[in-house]
Amino acid sequence: MSGLVETLLWGVVNGCIYILLATGLNIIFGVMKLVNFAHGQLLMIGAYVAFTAATVFGLNAYLSILVAIVTIALIGAGLERLTFRRVLGTDKLNEIFVSLGLIYVFENVAVLLWGNKLKQITSPFQGLGLSLGEVSISYDLLLAISVVTVILIALFILMKKTKIGLAMRATSQRSDTSMLMGVNIEKVYIFTFALGAALAGAAGALYGIIFPFNPSIGALPTIKAFAIIMLGGLGSIPGAIIGGLLYGIAENTAVYFLGGIWQDAIAFALLIIVLVIRPTGLFGEKGE
Amino acid sequence: MQKKLIAIVVVAIVAVSAIIAGWQLTQVPSSEAESEARSIKIGLVACYEKAEGQDMDRAAKMAVQEINDAGGVYVAEWDTNVDIELVIVDTEDDSTGKAVSPVTRAVLEDEVDLLIGGYTSSGTLADQVVAIENRVPYIITGASSSLVTRRGPQGNYGGLAEDNQLRIEDEEGMSYMFHYCTTTADYSKTVVNFFAESMKPLLDSTYEFNASRNLRLAILYRDDAFGKGVKDDSKAIIASENLPIDVVAERAYPATATNFQTDLTAIKDAKPDAVYVVDFIAGTSEIIKQGQRDVGLNTVYIAVECCEDPQLYTLLGEYGEGQLLESKFAPYAGPPFYLSAIETYVTDYQEKYATLPGMMGADTYDAFYIAKDAIERAGTVDKAAVRDAIESSAIDQMLIMTETGKVEFSTGVNYHEIAPVTFVEQLVWNEDVGECRSVIVYPDTAPGVGTLKQADFVLPAGYQSGSP
Repeated sequence: MSGLVETLLWGVVNGCIYILLATGLNIIFGVMKLVNFAHGQLLMIGAYVAFTAATVFGLNAYLSILVAIVTIALIGAGLERLTFRRVLGTDKLNEIFVSLGLIYVFENVAVLLWGNKLKQITSPFQGLGLSLGEVSISYDLLLAISVVTVILIALFILMKKTKIGLAMRATSQRSDTSMLMGVNIEKVYIFTFALGAALAGAAGALYGIIFPFNPSIGALPTIKAFAIIMLGGLGSIPGAIIGGLLYGIAENTAVYFLGGIWQDAIAFALLIIVLVIRPTGLFGEKGE
Repeated sequence: MQKKLIAIVVVAIVAVSAIIAGWQLTQVPSSEAESEARSIKIGLVACYEKAEGQDMDRAAKMAVQEINDAGGVYVAEWDTNVDIELVIVDTEDDSTGKAVSPVTRAVLEDEVDLLIGGYTSSGTLADQVVAIENRVPYIITGASSSLVTRRGPQGNYGGLAEDNQLRIEDEEGMSYMFHYCTTTADYSKTVVNFFAESMKPLLDSTYEFNASRNLRLAILYRDDAFGKGVKDDSKAIIASENLPIDVVAERAYPATATNFQTDLTAIKDAKPDAVYVVDFIAGTSEIIKQGQRDVGLNTVYIAVECCEDPQLYTLLGEYGEGQLLESKFAPYAGPPFYLSAIETYVTDYQEKYATLPGMMGADTYDAFYIAKDAIERAGTVDKAAVRDAIESSAIDQMLIMTETGKVEFSTGVNYHEIAPVTFVEQLVWNEDVGECRSVIVYPDTAPGVGTLKQADFVLPAGYQSGSP
């Protein structure tokens, strides 16, 4: 029984990382209608940036999350300006192939810079935790959940209470009308992509504190992030949060009861079931 | 007159053509027989992306240099000594998709005389087909799945079902395969016997368990031929030898996995006395670390011999203390070492490469001397003759101990396998070097060596036994 409780907690932490990744992807898709298959690679680069900040510059593991957020946001802005802006609005295949190409660029750069061996960011709380009867809870898991909660609150405030948030929401609904209303679409796009990338960077830094990573860790989370968006409903941030949590818990519970080889099979089976029963996802609306 | 002249010219042309053709014909057989001495090309099949492959490379280069510096290999057919030329066959990460092409290139383009190496079972099962089809002797020094030599008629198809695609019907082709490595059955036997003979009595006396209580063993393994082989063989040996061991959990995970917390949590719930970890270096070290650090599974972990490499000790750090490693080559358990050959090898290797050697390289190193001996006895580089010579090898054991003290390949159902001696090491923290070193804790003795055991097995600090 204690094992199941601990498994659920691991599922929530996994889900938190998925939430950040899927929310970033959802914002980019919602505002720019852009499909970025290299989003998971931004998570991977985020993990390496945080790792470098923590090991080379001796920064606290949790402060290194801020470094990853800023760095990946800048990389995201550069990507939008130099690659995606050139193909945005053209054939969808162009966007897809640009993002597919970026996967290889990021992975090879990571191998060149950091090698392909497993790495992990050393947390000051490593091996420490709470004991509640037979259940032991690592401080890192609790901190990871807290960090994601803070980031999501900040994102909510940004989207609902700021001018740029309003512009993003307007652009996501009708970009041409927003333009007529004086919204600088190019600025909104570059900010949106940087914001989505920053969320992936935060996810990567947290991933690197909780789990070991190498240059190939980005591929599967991207597919899962897309699945979570579909599960929660396209364009819905609450949907991405609920979808991410469901996904993380489902995966870990499947591993607990059936073994590690069932992790991905069960998670994708869940997606298929939801889509069969409710094609628009849990929180999606018709026509979205 | 003119007709006569033409006739003479025609006859002359025909005669010259006949002489030239005849001369050319006499050249062909001698060319085919390779009467001119040349270097012997040996392909090293190694996964250069991994620490194990790099160790194999270093060991192979050391063996080749030693052999060449000592005069090379005497080939009677050429009546001269020739050098060994090392051909690099880089299988990258040794996955099935990457292992075949480099071996094909080595066999068809480089025309190697012999292949040595192989690492993962799945990669080797794929790439060995090239050697089987082209009749190239292959001394496989990795790949612990017994199928690499038993998948043909001689090995009774390794017990594979008739419709199993791994079966090889080519009996002659399979005769070129040799397995200079422990199989999953070899080391599973050592591991489960250690638990039954050494750990169970210690647990019984320490925790005052009833003697009828079986040791509770969990097996956590990669979902591939290697992992399944170890799991199946361990269970089969426990059953056939009626050992006092209960397998309380057996869990497979994808070979690409890096996070094991949930599997380990489920294992913790099964309350085992020990966990048998079946993976390579990176996976094994992560499991042992995550088990203790993230899940609080403070038990005894035993790793498989392919992890016997400096990298494991570095990656484990303090989490290695008290943990176990099944092996057949212990460069960390000395000096003094149980074989003088190991002392020399470890010293030379350290001088040359400034690091300790690993086990994968030790197999590889020996294999080059097996190849040298076989070619010299065959007196030729003819592949069929070299195959026959390897089959009749009887040279003294080198770095890897065998039951008879000789390197001999079986011709029974355990086709072309050696009979290696394996043992269990326990890792002990060494403050001077800042990482663990090892001592051999099981068995007490080994044939041809005498005393092998260096210390008694002790339970790690903070160890928690399974349920009573």
